[in-house]
Amino acid sequence: MARVKNAVWQEKIRDPHIECMSRDEMQAIQSERLQSVVKRVYEHTPFYYNKMKEMGLEPGDIRGIEDIHKLPFTTKEDLRDNYPFGLVAVPQEEIVRVQGTSGTTGKLTLASYSQKDVDVWGECVARALSMAGIDQSDRIHVCYGYGLFTGGLGIDFGARELGAMSIPMSAGNTKRQIMCMEDFGATAFACTPSYALYLAESIREAGLVDKMKIRVGIHGAEPWTEEMRKEIEDILDIDCFDIYGLCEITGPGVAMDCIHHKGLHVFEDHFYPEVLNPKTNEPCADNESGELVFTTLSKEAMPLLRYRTKDITSIQRDVCECGRTLPRIQKFTGRTDDMKVIRGVNVFPTQVEAALLSMGGVAPHYKMIVDRVEGQDVLTVMVEVDEQYFSDEIRKLDELKQRVGKVLKETLGISVKVRLVEPKSIERSEGKAVRVIDNRDL
Amino acid sequence: MIKQVSIFVENKPGAMMEITEALSSAQVNIRAIAAFDTPEFGILRLVVDNPKKAKEDLTSKGFVVRIQEVIGVELQDEKGTLNHMLTCLSRANINMNYIYSFVIRQGRAPIMVFQADDEEKAKEVLTREGIKMIKEEEL
Repeated sequence: MARVKNAVWQEKIRDPHIECMSRDEMQAIQSERLQSVVKRVYEHTPFYYNKMKEMGLEPGDIRGIEDIHKLPFTTKEDLRDNYPFGLVAVPQEEIVRVQGTSGTTGKLTLASYSQKDVDVWGECVARALSMAGIDQSDRIHVCYGYGLFTGGLGIDFGARELGAMSIPMSAGNTKRQIMCMEDFGATAFACTPSYALYLAESIREAGLVDKMKIRVGIHGAEPWTEEMRKEIEDILDIDCFDIYGLCEITGPGVAMDCIHHKGLHVFEDHFYPEVLNPKTNEPCADNESGELVFTTLSKEAMPLLRYRTKDITSIQRDVCECGRTLPRIQKFTGRTDDMKVIRGVNVFPTQVEAALLSMGGVAPHYKMIVDRVEGQDVLTVMVEVDEQYFSDEIRKLDELKQRVGKVLKETLGISVKVRLVEPKSIERSEGKAVRVIDNRDL
Repeated sequence: MIKQVSIFVENKPGAMMEITEALSSAQVNIRAIAAFDTPEFGILRLVVDNPKKAKEDLTSKGFVVRIQEVIGVELQDEKGTLNHMLTCLSRANINMNYIYSFVIRQGRAPIMVFQADDEEKAKEVLTREGIKMIKEEEL
């Protein structure tokens, strides 16, 4: 434990040429890459070919990054409609990896990667880790889940690029996490912010804060507040950084917080950000809130044009105190849809509905409540017991409760507390039903 | 067999009162009532003088209600009669899910209401043992 005070902080910039580049130089790179990616998707993905044809657009019409607004959008629904490999722009044998996240219904949102895509991903995470002051002498304890979820492997790829030591713990079993953290002398750890807080409190309760060599925390994949960051920092006496990414674009390492905490620097040489008014689709001015939209400039396997993240943020393009010219996106203030990030997992009310429907009969009225209990997200799903579900036996109602819990866990990928409630006890609203109550103070 | 009205209730203040209030305004008379402790939700079971009306009324007020046939047994108010009945059922290896008794009988013998896994077998045993089961009209 040795928190580095701002005054003695030594900024580590992995690729100063790119990260501190002038706006003109960056735009030249972006223009060249955009032209190339547009040409590739036009030639290799029927989805984009058709979209561009419909708009009367040809690759030659895109002469530079300033023409990006002419291009069609891509939505999560488009990914679902082209699931699993419909948006791939390379021959199947060039795909070396897939990663996934939850979709709006039962199916995953799947992303494909070529070897170069994985290398670029690792490089971006390496830049991000450097931004947090990590170098090859560090030992990174990764307690993000490993698997289809990009968190664990993403940080791992970055650690490898950097030459740092990775401790691939994956999620769960806090006691064992703490034991390994202490025994292996981890100097950094990476996990969701809610788990970081829980872990920090557990370390404090075990009286082990002084035994830890942790200096840096890397936390993302779910929303968190400045207060929460300070809390984790104070408990462990470390510096914590926010990392952002989404599987559709690459995974963690799309944008990263620096020591000045003035927004997350977007690696815009690979992922071009736009902030648009969600109603008019017109670009927002700097500092003005809108929907974040990404275009992958260098991706080979599954390039996406103007992918709508549905996250609401604003962008700043002034040079940061850290020296980087990379633009910064602010913490998200909301979503244009009703997706929730719970324990790092994207959860849509429509998934809950689909899960309940899969049990047969009509979907009962339901409501999701998200709470943060002792630093951990807890999802409770209230389900109204109607004629089709009601049984005169408590045992059968208990079975029903367990069955609903199991189906929801299988669909959402996280454990759910189920509460059976009386019919009509969930309030109805005019028009769009309020399906989610988020009690977390984010 | 007698008719029992089962209602889904959440364990929260006033839950049972809402039901008794609804029945009271519908002029339905409660003969027996049973609820067992459960952490979040439970089933309130009632024997009433007009089960059909009770169900209609409660359903219209948003409750989820089921009418179910259960066994009602008239037992003499003497030592050992309940034990005797339970012994007979136990010997026949019949599992009981719940049992409760009537509230008011105005001088008549008490009635126990219960539900068993194997109702047919239970009825057979009770008939054989001469334990009087009562019908809906006899309530």
